[in-house]
Amino acid sequence: MADSVFGIEFDGGVIIAADQTNARSILTYQSNLDKVVQLSSHSAMGVAGPNSDLVNFSEYISKNFALYQLSNDGIQLSTAAQANFCRNELAAALRKGPYQVNILLGGYDKKTSSGSLYWMDYLAALTKLKYGAQGYASNFCLSIMDRDYKEGLTQDEAVQIVEKCIQELKVRFLLNQSNFLIKVIDKDGVRVVKFGADPADN
Amino acid sequence: MGDSAYSFSLTTFNRTGKLLQIEYALNAVANGRTSLGICAKDGVVIATDKKLASTLVDTEQVRKVENITDGAGFVYSGVGPDYRVLVRKARKSSQSYYLTYREPQPVSQLVKGTASVMQEYTQSGGVRPFGVSLLVAGTDADGTPRLYQVDPSGAYFGWKATAIGKNYVNAKNFLERRYQEDMELEDAIHTALLTLREGFEGEMTSQNIEVGVVSTTDGVFRRLTPEQIQDYLDEAS
Repeated sequence: MADSVFGIEFDGGVIIAADQTNARSILTYQSNLDKVVQLSSHSAMGVAGPNSDLVNFSEYISKNFALYQLSNDGIQLSTAAQANFCRNELAAALRKGPYQVNILLGGYDKKTSSGSLYWMDYLAALTKLKYGAQGYASNFCLSIMDRDYKEGLTQDEAVQIVEKCIQELKVRFLLNQSNFLIKVIDKDGVRVVKFGADPADN
Repeated sequence: MGDSAYSFSLTTFNRTGKLLQIEYALNAVANGRTSLGICAKDGVVIATDKKLASTLVDTEQVRKVENITDGAGFVYSGVGPDYRVLVRKARKSSQSYYLTYREPQPVSQLVKGTASVMQEYTQSGGVRPFGVSLLVAGTDADGTPRLYQVDPSGAYFGWKATAIGKNYVNAKNFLERRYQEDMELEDAIHTALLTLREGFEGEMTSQNIEVGVVSTTDGVFRRLTPEQIQDYLDEAS
């Protein structure tokens, strides 16, 4: 709930942004966490939830995708297939030992030359969206995105909308999330366009 | 797999390093009715001789060319009942793929999975290898048309054109002479029928052969109806 994860599709790719706070109860463990985990060369997912499940689930998924590629002569799964695989794993674990993760999965497909964004929650619901948000952040971000989103956004326009969302959270969200990390996924792969604190710093 | 009393494999090496059960399975294939396939630049065609024991047999009820997914199909030479087991397993596993990924399974993966099953039966307790070779036609993840052969050992090969079963040597020679890299699907179907007719005992009609086709335009694998086969046969005359 407290993790802010949101994303938006633009013409030729997807942006996923997340806060960088790693905290529990009254303690902040870390303020430079990268919650947008790369899954394959052209996909990543922003994960909201306890750090344990974040790491466990995202590593499991990304290694499964690596195995698929190795087993199948380098063929990569499409973004839709990746999203459905994730959902399937969440569904299978749901009645045994659920992963408490809420996800925004974004990827770029060469076949369609476009990006796609998928919203998934810990109950294994899945939907494809043009823009979305997980957790409390949705209360603040969705109205901004509802107003400003249009078809065929450029990358810069989409980043601007994301920046607006970040600013809104900083001003109005009770929890102080000082650092945000923004990633872009397009034909050139997954890259960081902005971070509040460098995840590589120790 | 197999009874607990048969925890040992029946397929074992001989002194010269051969797995005789697989050799014998290949003999069963070579005694089976001819099947062939041709991979064109815009599709794949597979065909088989469906000559049956008696004129009283209802040929419409016999299916040798079978859909596995919407986009891929099998045909075989060898032991029919063994083939049906493989068809059932392949269909189930490709539906399982669809359940996980919500996308149709690429044909190369279908082949690997089926080949893996056939190999298991050469190394498990109390079972014998399948007495069939399969020809698999379909389009891969990137839309490229593909033709594969899978043998009782579990070995699989990608082919531009091939034949299996009775008379396969002559059929392959015929195909080698006729095959061209930039062949189109219509030519391939035509050539497939000519090749089949070469070794056919008696008259070849739309009732005693089966043809399956997948085209890159829609990626859907279809068995040709007897009427469609008759049209092609009329053209070929």
